[in-house]
Amino acid sequence: MDNLALVFIEVISAVLCFVLLRFMIKPFHTTGEGRYLGLPLGFAFLGFSYIFMGLSLYFESSLFVEDLKWLQLFTQAYAFAFVAATYYFSKEPTKNTRLWWNITYAGLAFAAVVSYLVIFEPPMLELPSYKTVDEYFRIFNVICLAYISIHTLRSHASRPDPKTIWIPLSYLLLVFSQYSLLIWSVDSSFTAYVGAHFLRVSGLGILLFVVYQAFYGKNIAAPKEGIRDEEART
Amino acid sequence: MRKLARRDKLKIYGDLLFILYTESKKEKVVLTHVQLKTNVPFDRLKAYITELKELGLVQDEPALKLTEKGKQYLREYETVLDFMKRMGLTYR
Repeated sequence: MDNLALVFIEVISAVLCFVLLRFMIKPFHTTGEGRYLGLPLGFAFLGFSYIFMGLSLYFESSLFVEDLKWLQLFTQAYAFAFVAATYYFSKEPTKNTRLWWNITYAGLAFAAVVSYLVIFEPPMLELPSYKTVDEYFRIFNVICLAYISIHTLRSHASRPDPKTIWIPLSYLLLVFSQYSLLIWSVDSSFTAYVGAHFLRVSGLGILLFVVYQAFYGKNIAAPKEGIRDEEART
Repeated sequence: MRKLARRDKLKIYGDLLFILYTESKKEKVVLTHVQLKTNVPFDRLKAYITELKELGLVQDEPALKLTEKGKQYLREYETVLDFMKRMGLTYR
């Protein structure tokens, strides 16, 4: 696949993430609850990870390519960890939930700073090869996304509604995207590589569709719930 | 018996605004009905309504009902709750 085409896909993915970020901040903004902060943080990290990947593909002969690839690896893993943490803490809160989500988010932020210092600041440590670390990070990403998919599927199963089926589907596409990249990393399969990009853009596209439906769609067919539905009918 | 989850102030405000919105369509808003539906003690309900009035979300002249600002707030609040539901996130 042409490098420019890959850069274009990374740019499209980054743009989708930053558009989604604008809406993902709303639950935190409206409820003021820190447990929803992982959602905008996650999509911001994800957007930056695609930018880093795009830059590493565009400047492939540059000295900074390796650094950009490492940055992409970490930011993407943190993105999925933040989103998974949001879903974990979105369950009905108990007495200590607030403390635990503060500890988790602080821990993730601390780990991000430490990993940056270990990789990019002197003294430079002997690190395993990028390919090996990449495979471990893909497995971590698959685990995080699988958890989110199961969580959203269970949420849909507990209160079945045609509106809520899209989100598990989008996260499942992101799981398969990461899994395809893992396969590509092991056997260099071209189909897996192209498929991973296609699945990723499709997953992000579905997320955008859900956002559009929630904020700009008409709720006429939905059961009467509130002021929006009443206004939609009149 | 399952214990009811505690609501935070924002959730109570949201519930209260929606109940006031539906009740205000009737001939007269009966506070006892509002209290039963919101499930908060009467003295606290009055305090919440006073706070909502101070915020400009509710008016009591000529009758207790939502202001345009209150309707706008309720619309946005419901949109975000609907979005959270679609995303598989729970808000108490």
